[in-house]
Amino acid sequence: MSVHEVTPTRSVLLDLKRRIKLSKSGYKIMKMKRDGLIIEFFEIMEKAKKMRESVTSDYELAMEKITVAMAVEGEIAVKSAAYALKTEPTVVVGSKSIMGMMVPKVEADLSRSSILTKGYGVISTSAYIEEASKAFEKLLETLVRAAEIETTMKRLLDEIEKTKRRVNALEFKVIPELEEAEAFVEFRLEEMERENTIRLKHLKRKGEAAAE
Amino acid sequence: MDIAVIGSEEFVLGFRLAGLRRVYVADAANYRERILEAMAEPSIGILAVDGKDLENLPHNIRQRVMDSIQPVVVPVGSDESDLREKVKRAIGVDLYKTEE
Repeated sequence: MSVHEVTPTRSVLLDLKRRIKLSKSGYKIMKMKRDGLIIEFFEIMEKAKKMRESVTSDYELAMEKITVAMAVEGEIAVKSAAYALKTEPTVVVGSKSIMGMMVPKVEADLSRSSILTKGYGVISTSAYIEEASKAFEKLLETLVRAAEIETTMKRLLDEIEKTKRRVNALEFKVIPELEEAEAFVEFRLEEMERENTIRLKHLKRKGEAAAE
Repeated sequence: MDIAVIGSEEFVLGFRLAGLRRVYVADAANYRERILEAMAEPSIGILAVDGKDLENLPHNIRQRVMDSIQPVVVPVGSDESDLREKVKRAIGVDLYKTEE
């Protein structure tokens, strides 16, 4: 709101005062929210870092195992075992709230099947394939947990950015403008008051002169 | 919801061995179409991707993929550059740098 757009009246002044008070309390709350989110973020960041590391190490291990399996058994054997699998892991995505912001809570149904119920033959499939399968199952488990943490982190970062922008807008744009408008209205009202006093004095003098 | 995986034949094979059925095989030529297709699928909750493949995507698509929450895209075998960038933008400090 530009200063020149406000009408210098008492009701506008009252309204401005009310709005400044509201903006300031909103600003305080937003600032607290931002700080709270950042504290939350630091906690989750540590977890996310560890998670990434374990995803990478699990992945490397799993890749190593599958390469060995392919080298020993041949690609076709590994593929046929992979296609024969019966169990499929699924995830349930729920949600929980962090400072009023919904973050996903991933629960996975990764019931590891025993070698007998997996779907491929025990005799025709070698231990290398079984090992590779185990390694990838473990990787999958880590991935699911990583997914939850990473989403939480992404959401938190988005929310922090949004809150930060709001805090800054209030601090540097909204509140100063309102205060400027308030100062202008106050000044104009005082000015009008003075004009009035002068006018009254003038009239009084005129009246006195006429009476004489 | 399902877990899906997208990547090269070799990358995908291991995940098949862990029991995944939602598999998108893609090579460098059609990777972009395939990943967008996978992301548009509402029944996928988690999408595992090869970190190396992501590096070849155009910047805006990579951004979109990494910012996605439904599904969550988890890069496997890559560094933390994407998260690092996001942290830098939101917090204003490169938090990952200090601990290196």
